[in-house]
Parts: sequence; structure tokens; C-alpha cells
Amino acid sequence: MRGFGDSRRPQGAWPPHPGPLPGGEREGPLTLTLSPGGRGTWVAALPLPLLTACSGPQSMLDPAGTQAGHIGTMWWILFATCAAVYGIVMLWLLWALARRHRWVEPRGVLPVEEGRDRGLTFWLSVWVGGTVVILCGLVTASYAVDKSLTHLANREELAVEVEGMQWWWRIRYPDDDPSRSIATANEIHLPAGAPVRLKLKAQDVIHSLWIPNLHGKMDLIPGRENELFLVAEREGTYRGQCAEFCGLQHAHMALTVVVESPEDFNAWKEAQLAPAPEPASDEQKRGKAVFLSSACSMCHGIRGTTASASVAPDLTHLASRPTIAAGTLPYNRGNLAAWIADPQRIKPGNHMPLVGVPPPDLQALVAYLDSLK
Amino acid sequence: MSKLQCCLLALLAVAYNILACAFPALAQDPAPPAKAIPAPAASPPDDGNWSMPAKNYASTRFSELDEINAGNVRDLQVSFTFSTGVVRGHEAAPLVVNGTMYVVTPYPNHLHALDLTKPGAPTKWTFEPKPAASAQGVACCDYVNRGPAFADGKIFITTLDAHTIAIDAETGQEVWRTKLGDINKGESMTMAPLVVKGKVLVGNSGGEFGVRGWVTALDAATGKIVWRAYSTGPDKDVLIGPDYQPFYDKEKGKDLGVSTWPPNAWEIGGGTMWGWISYDPELDLIYHGTGNPGPWNPEQRPGDNKWTGGIFARNPDTGQARWFYQVVPHDLYDYDGINELILVDLPWNGETRKALIRPERNGYLYVIDRRTGEVLAADPYFPVNSTSGVDLKTGQIQYNEDKHPRMGKVVRDICPTAPGAKDWNPSAFSPRTGIVYIPHNNLCMDWESVEANYIAGTPYVGANVKMYAGPGGHRGAFTAWDPVQRKKAWEIKEDLPLWSGALATAGDLVFYGTLDGWFKAVHAQTGELLWRFKTGSGIIGQPISYRGPDGRQYIAVLSGVGGWAGAIVAGDLDPHDASAAKGFVNAVSDLPRRTTKGGMLYVFALPSRS
Amino acid sequence: MFSRCRPAASVLALCVLLLAACEREERAYRGEPVGEVKPGAIVQGTLYAGEPSPPPPQRREYEGNAYHISEGKRLFEWFNCSGCHAHGGGDIGPPLMDDTWIYGGELENIAATIVEGRPNGMPSFRSKIPDQQVWQLAAYVRSMQRAVRKDVAPGRDDHMSASPGEQSQPVQEAKPGGGTPPSSQGTGQ
Repeated sequence: MRGFGDSRRPQGAWPPHPGPLPGGEREGPLTLTLSPGGRGTWVAALPLPLLTACSGPQSMLDPAGTQAGHIGTMWWILFATCAAVYGIVMLWLLWALARRHRWVEPRGVLPVEEGRDRGLTFWLSVWVGGTVVILCGLVTASYAVDKSLTHLANREELAVEVEGMQWWWRIRYPDDDPSRSIATANEIHLPAGAPVRLKLKAQDVIHSLWIPNLHGKMDLIPGRENELFLVAEREGTYRGQCAEFCGLQHAHMALTVVVESPEDFNAWKEAQLAPAPEPASDEQKRGKAVFLSSACSMCHGIRGTTASASVAPDLTHLASRPTIAAGTLPYNRGNLAAWIADPQRIKPGNHMPLVGVPPPDLQALVAYLDSLK
Repeated sequence: MSKLQCCLLALLAVAYNILACAFPALAQDPAPPAKAIPAPAASPPDDGNWSMPAKNYASTRFSELDEINAGNVRDLQVSFTFSTGVVRGHEAAPLVVNGTMYVVTPYPNHLHALDLTKPGAPTKWTFEPKPAASAQGVACCDYVNRGPAFADGKIFITTLDAHTIAIDAETGQEVWRTKLGDINKGESMTMAPLVVKGKVLVGNSGGEFGVRGWVTALDAATGKIVWRAYSTGPDKDVLIGPDYQPFYDKEKGKDLGVSTWPPNAWEIGGGTMWGWISYDPELDLIYHGTGNPGPWNPEQRPGDNKWTGGIFARNPDTGQARWFYQVVPHDLYDYDGINELILVDLPWNGETRKALIRPERNGYLYVIDRRTGEVLAADPYFPVNSTSGVDLKTGQIQYNEDKHPRMGKVVRDICPTAPGAKDWNPSAFSPRTGIVYIPHNNLCMDWESVEANYIAGTPYVGANVKMYAGPGGHRGAFTAWDPVQRKKAWEIKEDLPLWSGALATAGDLVFYGTLDGWFKAVHAQTGELLWRFKTGSGIIGQPISYRGPDGRQYIAVLSGVGGWAGAIVAGDLDPHDASAAKGFVNAVSDLPRRTTKGGMLYVFALPSRS
Repeated sequence: MFSRCRPAASVLALCVLLLAACEREERAYRGEPVGEVKPGAIVQGTLYAGEPSPPPPQRREYEGNAYHISEGKRLFEWFNCSGCHAHGGGDIGPPLMDDTWIYGGELENIAATIVEGRPNGMPSFRSKIPDQQVWQLAAYVRSMQRAVRKDVAPGRDDHMSASPGEQSQPVQEAKPGGGTPPSSQGTGQ
């Protein structure tokens, strides 16, 4: 089990910045072993980069939860069936190509051969029949998987509200005791093994949530509430992404999903419940004053201060999150400063404006925000 | 009320208590009266003055003067008028104390003293408190003021920029001024103070600005804060201590003002106190409501949102709560709980109960035991569909799931509306008929919850609302309600919403005004229209009746359209936008054609016999 | 030769024509460099001292751009302008969809009102709203009374249809100083 602190930081597990994803520690089911220097190594190695997507933090072939497991099985059934059919077709094609040389007639009408035509009809019928059987089988399998997914959805130990915004995710953990409900952004923490209900909402346009390692896609539609039940089994850090084009920065609308032990989850929740710590140093105090007196407090809230705006991500525990700008940059002071200095350069068209904080104020502001663990 | 009368009353009360203890049989009425009577200790005999907007601590708004009666009211005519010089909504009640009339205007909250002993009632003095002009930006529903209060030779007023000021009633000089709130946070003050046992009780407005509501007692002599009770937050801020004994289990628990809110949301959770306070000297308890939680959008504040939308009984000396009843837990529709509380003793299942009557925003008329907080009855006086009733065992209101507001959805035909079946405008109670006279709205609304963004000093609402006429097509109604029979005695349908207070007199008359300026007198028994007069502007004020220095009975009312209902005229709002004035403009889009701005005091009397 | 080219030329000309519409959508995300232009020119009415100053360049840039106006519409809700002015019909503050402008109804007047605030309840948003957003808000407010081109004004609202939408409003010319400041209603103020 990886520690709480480790799992939050993007230390090689996956870089949140778009780029080639490394294979990850765990070998995916399709990882091939090729002897170096052997004949055809280069040809065989060509599709290899594609296989890097088979495992890692954003792969449905590396299921980390019950639902994703079912979907993964379904994927493998589909893949195996299609691969088999494709292989058979290819074999027949090769056979036909090889066979052509032997009986090419120079000219004229093809001779009618009673036995051959009957054979052709028979084999065509078998082929069509086989296709129907295979398709029926796939429909049945898909139905069975769907059914098993809905059957899984009868228990709920934890509800999480996920609201898609242009272009970030608002995450809320409602609680029967409302004073223990928490709000965060762009990260979902889940206790391993617990059945979870994600309530999916939107206010502006249609979004879609896809955390491939945990479940399939589900749309977030303004004016209605969708839900997604999932059980995350394996601890680790995964990546979710908006999967429905929702505007200019759709591609930079990602979120981190941290699956951790129930103890770590409870510790995280307790930490999130606390209001923002008071600034410790003079620089942080000045940063807080900058935050409250500038445009920041028109959109962002920090619990424990007078800033309670809510149209942009809640920043009460900003520095505990692995990324900023909805998975666009890893969280660190440098990136935070760059983001505040010119958000339109990093994520053009997003709703955070060019505020124009003077450099000394920016330093203080970043120092304060960095204290919001 | 003079000091002498106060002492006499107190003596009487003490004597009554001693007698009651010594001879229990005396305390138990052998046969309870057939109709409700005002709480005796809170409604002393009428001295002809009108020294507080509600007339007395029992808030009956009943005058024992009967010179003007059902037989001669048709002769009623204007005695004198006075222009206030302000053309915003005039919600105040004029006061009359020993030959002087005191009129407070909307912002800029001028206080005029008129000398009733001279012909034409010339101005004795005018006091200008000069409140901050920027306060106009944080007054949710027009810059109104609901009246002054008189006690101990001083007039007390609240100003829009959240000050309370004491003015010498004789000279018009300021005695003290206390700043109680911060307009930069959205706090303002519009209510009429109530003076109880040498303390001035006031509360703040700003439930639409995410303020934290409170009620405060100031020393009437010095203006020093004696206590302050918040409507949200930990028990020590709400002044809930060992004396607190609510009737229902749902009101019990530690720090419910924190635990029934999302973290820190109670700090901007509303629960303002801008309405009416009543006082029972016998039980030594004050009663006040708490306003709506903020923001209006209920999805942003899961939980019961204590202690908003309810009624508190408190000790006036310490502010310590005795009981609380939450009328609308987790309010869905801005059903502020700040309406008037009429203290009556009424026969109930063969015994006499000390009760309070509250025609509530949510459309129910509550009869509550004022000693314990037990709800005796909650009957709809308006065709309610947002809730299906009140469970008298648990005190819980039953919300109607079909009408539950949701983000991004327009829920249609919710009755009553955000201003309620009845808003702040107070009812009257006549002991002669035992009937409560309720001026109210007959409106329904469409509601869409949207995200509210908190920015200090700006509105924090989160709802798009559109109102229109309710069942029957009329927009207002004047209902006479018998609290003992638990049914309507009669009802007058009014075309426009009613936003004025009511006045009942011993001449079996009830007075009220309409938004288009008609001032009406109807028969207290039957509701028959006996007299009416068209004033210069719509009436949203509180009529009063007093005995002038010449011994004759007068009726006075302020005319000047405005308030939430009249904002379309007072603020020149554009009826093309149905959501203007939080949706009220849609309901009264014809009002600009029917009345214009104004600010005028009208005083009526019968023609003098000489 | 010439005749063979004609269809191609027509298509090309049509394409060029289509491009003409791009201007209304041109998206400038970053606005002015920080601290360059503050909407400082307060022009309250038709009567002011000296020569009239030429209209600022922002008029063309913001009033003729659908992106800026739609951003202004979003900010109008976000920053609670709608809390006081409703969807143009007014509430605590005056209506914005009529032709009455107490402090001037041109783009730069409205921007100045947002930045400076006004004495009778309009708060000052100086340093609270960045310049570009001030201009966007002001341009949207101009669209409420249809003082901008129809093709850049927002269409019907996604929310409760409280009003027909800025695009459908009748075109109105702002009448500066047409209203009565509320403070003048009090005696002795």
C-alpha cells in the first residue's frame, strides 16, 4: 500500500501534464516480451507505443474497480471475438490469394461446377449463421454485463456529488450531518472497497465523466441528475477526463481520483473539514490581504475567511491537491505563480481572467495559497 | 404608556398572581370565554395615544375608541394632510403621544413631529439622521422604515445604515446613537423598535445579502448594547442556555446553529430579524421571529438551517431563549418567519390557553401556546400547495415533493410565493369579535434555483422568480379569521396584492389600504365596505387611530407606494423583465398605470359638530 | 479563359464574404496589458466643459463583439449584478433595459460606474473586477437596451425566460441624465 502522502503527489505515477504516459509499475495483460536483435523485432515493435495505453492511471484495460472489471471483461470478449473473426478472414484471404495461381482460366465464362457451387452455398450459410450467432452472443454478453452493473448498484456507503463546470470539476461530499459535508475541486478521494454513488450534475453545458480505471462514461446534463455506482478495489491514483466536448478547454478538464484505504480516506476527510489555517508568516498574512482585496475573492472561496464566493474552485485546501487548473499543471509554487500571473497563456479562454497582481503581491499571494494544506 | 400606568399594571399582575396561588379556583375559569381575548397584561386599557406601531405589547392594533363607527363612518373626511417630502415606500405607522404625532419617512429616515394641538398640525421639529447614502444599495425591497417607538420621553428609530437613534420627544434633539451593523456586509435596519423594561429591542435586515441575523437589546437610557442574540451559530451566540425548554424534540440539541449547516455557511446564513416583536409582561417573555436562511437557493445550504425561519421566546432582561419553534426547517421558498405575533388567551378544548397567533408567510395561521411553544393549530388561510400540512405531533411541516426547487429547473405554480401568503404587513385583532383581520397576497410563482455567489455587500439570493395571480385570479385578499372556530369568517377579494397593515376599532370597523391608493373601512362583523377614500399614492402603511387633544377620534395613515410590492413604481422598474424586483414586477405590471409615487400623511375624522 | 474562372471566383468571393462575420466572434482572452487603461472618463451628460472627447477605442472592440458581450452576460450573474438589477428590469438598483441613464449610458460611462461606484448604493468594484471584465460587463449592459448590433446581442436566455432576450429588444438610444438620483428625493440632502 502506498502512503497517503505518496499517492497524492504525481511522482512518476502519472504526470498530469498532457504527454506520453509511461507504462506504470504494473504490467498490463498485453505487455509483450521481445528478444532484442531477433528477426522482425523492429516490425513487431512498431505497435508497441500503442500498448502503453493498456495500463496506467487512465486505462480501462487496467481495471481498479468492480464495475471497470466487468467492462474490461466485456472489452476482452469483444476484442477476442473480433480478433478471431479478423484472423479467420485474413487466413481465408491468404488462402484465396495463394490458391488463385492454380486455376486461372485464360478467357471466357466461368464453368459451372455443381459440387463447388453447392459447397460455396453451404459455407456461405455457415458464415452468415456464424456471424448471427457471434453477434447474438455479443449482445447477450453485453446485456449480461449491463445487468450485472445495475445489480451492483443497490448499495451505497458514500455519495459524492460531481458537478461539471467549464472547465473544472466541483466535488462535494454530502453528509447526513450537513456540518460534515465538504467541497473540493478536481480531485475525488475514495475509500477502497466501498460502494460509492457519484451524483453527476452540470450547470452550463453537457459534460461527461470518464474514469476509465473505475467505470465507463456518464454524461452530466444541466437540469438533471445522473448517477454512477462504482466500487474502487485497488488503491492508487487514477485520472478522469471530460469525455463530451464542452467548449474550448474541454481537453484540459481532468480530475484526479485517489483510491486509498478507509483509514487514509477518513484522515483526508477530517483534514478537508478543517477551515483554512491562519497565515503564519508576515508574507502569508500579506498574501491573505491580497487575496481578500483583489479580484480573487469575487469567484473563489476560502473557508475560515470572509471569501465565500463559489463560482470557481474552493481553495480552502488548495495546496493539498495534486494538480491545478483541472489537471493541467502539477501543483507546485512555481506553477501556481505562473497560473495566477497569466492563466490565459496556460489555458486560453478559461474563465480565470488576467488579474494583474503586481509581482511582490504575487509572491505573497502564492506564499499564502501554498499554506492552505 | 405612562410610568404610572406601568406601575399599576405591574401591581395588578402581582396581585393577580398572589390571588391565583392562594385560590387556585380563581385562576381556573369555570367556563372559558367563547372567543379569544388579548393577553390582559399586554393590552392595557386604551389611553387614546398610539405609542408603538402595534398599539400594545399584545400587538392587537385595536383601538378602543368608538366615536367613528359603522353607523357614521360614511361621513369620515380628511382632517389634515402632511407631505413627508420622500417618495419611496411608506410602510411606517405614525405615532401619537400626548398631542404630538411622530412620522418617520423611508430613507433618509427623517423624523417629523407634528403639533396636533394647533390647527393643521404644524411641524414642531424635524430630525434628520443623515444615514449613509450607500445604504440604499443594500436594502432588498425598497428603503422602507416600519415606524418609530416611544418610551420614557424618547422616540427611538432605526436607520437604513443600521443605526438605532434615540431622540428627545419634546425637543427633537438626539439623545444617543448606536451603530449596530455594517452596510458593507449588507446589513441594514428597517424595523420598528420595541421598548420593553427600559430596553430597546431591534434587529437587522439583509437576509438577501448573506448577513448573519440578530436581535439586540439596547439600554433605552444610554444606547449601550445589553445583549445580542444571533440567529445562527453556536448556542452561546444564540443565547441558548439552561432556561431553554423547547416543546419539540427537533429543536433540542447542542449547537444546532452550527451542525445544521454546511461548514461555515452559518456565518452568512441570514435569519435576520426585521419584523415584529411582542411581549407578555405576565410570563415576562418577548416573542420574535427569525427570517429566511441565505441564500434562497436551498441546495447551497443542506440541513435544517437553525435557527432561521422560526419563532423564539426570550427573556427580555438577558435575551436567554425559553423556547423555539422552527416553522420552516430548511426553508425552500424565502418564507421569512418575521410576521406579527398577536398574544391572545383563547378557549381551547374546554380550557383557556395562553397563545400567540401568527399568520405565517407559508400560508398557515399558527396558534401556538406561548408558554411552551406547542403548536395548537396550523390552518391554511390561503390555497397552499408548496406544503401539504403541519404535523401537530412533531411540529414538522410537510413539504410537497412536486414543488421542491431544483438547480437548473423551473418549478411552476408554487403557492404561496416568496413574499408569502402574507408578508410583514401586520394583521389586527378585535376583542369585540374575536377575529383576526389579515391583509394578504393571493399570488403564486415560478421558481428556478441558480448558483448564488457570495460577495460581501452584494445580494446573495440564487433564484429566478416570476409571480402572478393565484387561484381565483385576484392578487390580494382581506381575510377575517376566527382562531377559535379555525375558519374564515369572511373574505374580501382585492385585485391588487395587499401590502398595508390593518386597524380594528371598537366602532366595529376595520381599516386597510390598497396598492392603488384606496383607503377602506369595512364592517368588522360582515366585511361590508362602508367607506373608502382615494389617496394620492398607493398605501402600504399601517393605519392607526387616536384621540386628538380636542377629544375626537382620528384615523391616520401614510400613503406612498413602494416596498417589495410597489417597487415597480417607487424604483421605476421595467415590466419587460418578469424577474425584476425578485419576480414581483410580473405580478403587478399594471401598477404604474394605477398609481404614482408619493409620500403623504392623511388624517381623517368625522365632521366636527361645532 | 475568363469565363472558366468565373465559378471559382464566385466561390472565392463567397468565402471572403463569410469571413466578414468572423469579427463578431473574435476572441481576445487576455484583454489589455495590466494597468494600461482605466475607465476614468466620467461623462455624465451632454453638457460638459471643453471640447467633447472622442469615443474610446473600447467601444468598437467590445460593443461589436459577441464573445465579449456573452462573457459580460455570464459575469453579470457571477458578480451579482443581477441581484440588484434583475435581468435588466431593476430591483434594488435601477433598470438597465430602459433608456434612462442617471450617470450616462455610453460604454465608458457604464464602465466608470462599475469601477467608481455611485453614491446612492452602487458599490465600487475598483480592483475587484479586472479591466477587461469591466468592459465586457459594460458592453453587455449596453446590449440590454439594444444599443449594440443585433448580430452581436445575446439571444434568448437558457434560464427562466424572464424577458425576451437582448436580441429581441427594441433599439433604444441612451438618454443621459434622464433619471432622478434617489438622493434628490430626500429633503435637505
